[in-house]
Amino acid sequence: MSVKKIVGALFSCLMYVSLAHSLSLEEIDEFTLKNGMKIIVVEDNSIPNANMYLFWRVGSRNEYPGITGISHFFEHMMFNGSKNYGPKMFDRVMEASGGANNAYTTENITAYTNWFPVESMETIFQLEADRIAHLAIEKDVVESERGVVASERRTGLENSNFRAISEEVKNAAFRAHPYSWPVIGHASDIEGWSLEDLVTYHKTYYSPNNAVVVISGDVKVSEVKALAKKYFEPIQNGPKPRNIHTVEPEQKGERRVYLHKPSISSPNIMMAWHIPESKHEDYYSLDILSSILSDGYTSRLYQSLVDEKQLASGVFSYLPKSIDPNLFYVYAVANQDVASDVLEKAMIEVINDVIKKGVSEEELQKIKNNQSVNFYRTIQTINGKSNELGSYEVYFGDYKRLLDAPKYYEKVSLEDIQRVAKKYLVKANRTVGIIDLKEDSHADDL
Amino acid sequence: MQMIYKVSVVLLLTVLSCCVSAGDFKLPDYEKVKLENGMTLLLMEHKEVPLINIQVRVSAGAVDSPIEGLSDVTAEALRFGNKSMTKKEMEEALDFIGANLSTWSGVDVSGLQSSFHKKDKKTVIDIIANTLMSPTFNKDELDKYLTRYSSQIEQRKESPKALVGDYFKSLYFSDHPYSVQVMATQKSLSKINKSAIENFYQKYYQPNNIVIAVVGDFQVKSMKQQVLKAFSGWKNRHKQNFVRIEKMKQPPSAQVLLVNKEDAKETTFYIGGKGIARNNEDYVALEVINTILGGRFTSWLNDALRVNAGLTYSASSDFITLKNDGYFRISTFTKTSTTEEAIDLALKTYYQLWNKGINESILKSAKAYVKGQFPPKFETAGELAELLVDFEVLNINPSFINNFNTNVNELTVEKANDLVKQYFPKDNLQFVLIGKADDIRKVAKKYGSVTEIEMGDQL
Repeated sequence: MSVKKIVGALFSCLMYVSLAHSLSLEEIDEFTLKNGMKIIVVEDNSIPNANMYLFWRVGSRNEYPGITGISHFFEHMMFNGSKNYGPKMFDRVMEASGGANNAYTTENITAYTNWFPVESMETIFQLEADRIAHLAIEKDVVESERGVVASERRTGLENSNFRAISEEVKNAAFRAHPYSWPVIGHASDIEGWSLEDLVTYHKTYYSPNNAVVVISGDVKVSEVKALAKKYFEPIQNGPKPRNIHTVEPEQKGERRVYLHKPSISSPNIMMAWHIPESKHEDYYSLDILSSILSDGYTSRLYQSLVDEKQLASGVFSYLPKSIDPNLFYVYAVANQDVASDVLEKAMIEVINDVIKKGVSEEELQKIKNNQSVNFYRTIQTINGKSNELGSYEVYFGDYKRLLDAPKYYEKVSLEDIQRVAKKYLVKANRTVGIIDLKEDSHADDL
Repeated sequence: MQMIYKVSVVLLLTVLSCCVSAGDFKLPDYEKVKLENGMTLLLMEHKEVPLINIQVRVSAGAVDSPIEGLSDVTAEALRFGNKSMTKKEMEEALDFIGANLSTWSGVDVSGLQSSFHKKDKKTVIDIIANTLMSPTFNKDELDKYLTRYSSQIEQRKESPKALVGDYFKSLYFSDHPYSVQVMATQKSLSKINKSAIENFYQKYYQPNNIVIAVVGDFQVKSMKQQVLKAFSGWKNRHKQNFVRIEKMKQPPSAQVLLVNKEDAKETTFYIGGKGIARNNEDYVALEVINTILGGRFTSWLNDALRVNAGLTYSASSDFITLKNDGYFRISTFTKTSTTEEAIDLALKTYYQLWNKGINESILKSAKAYVKGQFPPKFETAGELAELLVDFEVLNINPSFINNFNTNVNELTVEKANDLVKQYFPKDNLQFVLIGKADDIRKVAKKYGSVTEIEMGDQL
């Protein structure tokens, strides 16, 4: 796939568990450069390739009104030229060396992913170091890139109901915290930010001490270390990023949003409840609860809405890994001729049933079993390894937590599941978004 | 437990070992076994993680379906219960152990795939065998599924990206068998019932029409016995009559299919024409050439439309290859007001293949790129299992892997430019434009004779 620079990665519900011989602490090396950049290395010679994943602690949570979407725009600008590699050269040099790349931005992070034959590793270090230390931000390139991002935004809304309604739901659920706006930003901000905004943003957030780098593949730790010292260590840090101190005030009543889309064939409903950040002790219970609700044909929501009542053609739930308190989502797409209120009521019944009666021992065990197998599925590729280790380092403060995760999941009890459902998935804490073809007309209101 | 059973292997065909390929990438050893009932079994050990992957292919797909969508519904309906388990029992058994099992149909073939922990191999292999050998196509489950399917047909009409490929196939292949769609329409869905499904199943889901690959953490010897035990009692009952598929002829004129989506803010379009079958001898060379045109970020198309002009988020080109033929397409999208500019720029860029041609330095870069990106395609047991079944059902020579680097390296500038002339469609191009027709009708006329339909309608 040649498309790159995507917004999102909301659905990385990746699972974990022990697995001594698949990935153990002994196979993972780490070191920190003098400038504070942390490097994690996994030697894996299953294919003659390697990757380099760079996770920058900057996402839409670091923005404010007027510059919404700048983190994602920046992700694009990182490919548009630096001191020693002019416009287009980053990609041209990388691809001519057999490498490919992509990048994505979320509410919390911006990640850059490079995949290459291992003999090209030094070239990758050179390219990355140059754009981190000496990015060139030129006016005409910025203008052309605004068109690209506008197209990305438009095509997302044109082809995805989920994208359209999630913008409305996030905006209603958060009135103070920056998770309020979409990662891609408001259209007028994409048109409006200045060159100066971009320069400042790069200087602040693309400091080596704001990154975690993970390299997995057919590499030797000693070679990685030598290249990192040579190319990354001389890069200076910029000013300290602004602390995000805004705390979303407690929601004290249901919020509702409606989006009219004439060409939709049946209503889609998104529900979202405020939950704590990923470092919170309830994260594991909530993650298991989400799986009980919607993973597989035997999950609660699928069984009830899709199979038994035949109200929905599809349903899912998820909670993004998150630095600050975020949302627990449930999404359903109605079958033909099913009204949104009927579907909504059925969704709530499933949630309320967990609140009232809890879940069974078998359901809990099923999810724990699934986590084990899914972990293997994730780490069977060098990309899965890099992505998981980097995510754990960013969201849980330590990549080693990935290997401890089974312990935390194992501790989750039936009581925990019911407790978190009762605590978080309640009406007063809920935002409901409906996208439907019926106009929200004033005539019906009288 | 000691079990003795009759192994019905008649022929141990070959044990392939491999040579060096891309980088140091080697196709791992695997064993191919032909059962007495005609079923082909492929086994490869791959022990990086304690998982096992199974890929099954049935040589029958949408082209063999007497009703549009029948192969698709049949594949799904296999999971609606069998002589040993109801649908629900099967789902509970699989979900509890974290095993996945899915079924699907494509244009030429149908398939089943499963991934599970090695400790669960007996449970899952038995379920797969029952799913393939004794499905009951439970009527209640089928009715529920058909209702949901009908909703999904309507939901696909919401997204230009979901439908543009189907429309292009209908337009380009016209009355050729490959114009058939995998998914049913509302009209064809109303004709699909239990008896149609049973007829399709009985005709094509026969052991002599099936290939199974098992790749993962196991010993070949014991896995072979286990699979043989599960499938050796399966008998062939019907003879298959396959549709003979001739190569598509070059379309006689340029055509434009304009699909009106009233609330569209952008135009999603394909431009294309004649392509190749998957087993074409020049497949690898064409992949290298297409990399230059539209197969990577710095490709000519993405560079012109995205990077230079800011007209789109992405522009690409591909040869979409099927078993016996295929098509070539350029794919992109742009806001309604720049539709003409984007199409003209896509065409101008495409014609550079002839006007400017391929030179040494760009060819060198493309070769490095396709070689460098080749090994990760076959990193996991699941990917290798898919590769093994593809060898069989798409008539691909397994030397494809081991000769990949040589084939790439041998491509010269002269040969590349000859292949452009031989394979890339230059005249009578076919266009599909999905967007707001009132705003782009005039533009559409520039490129060929226009047929206009509403979003979701059939051509």
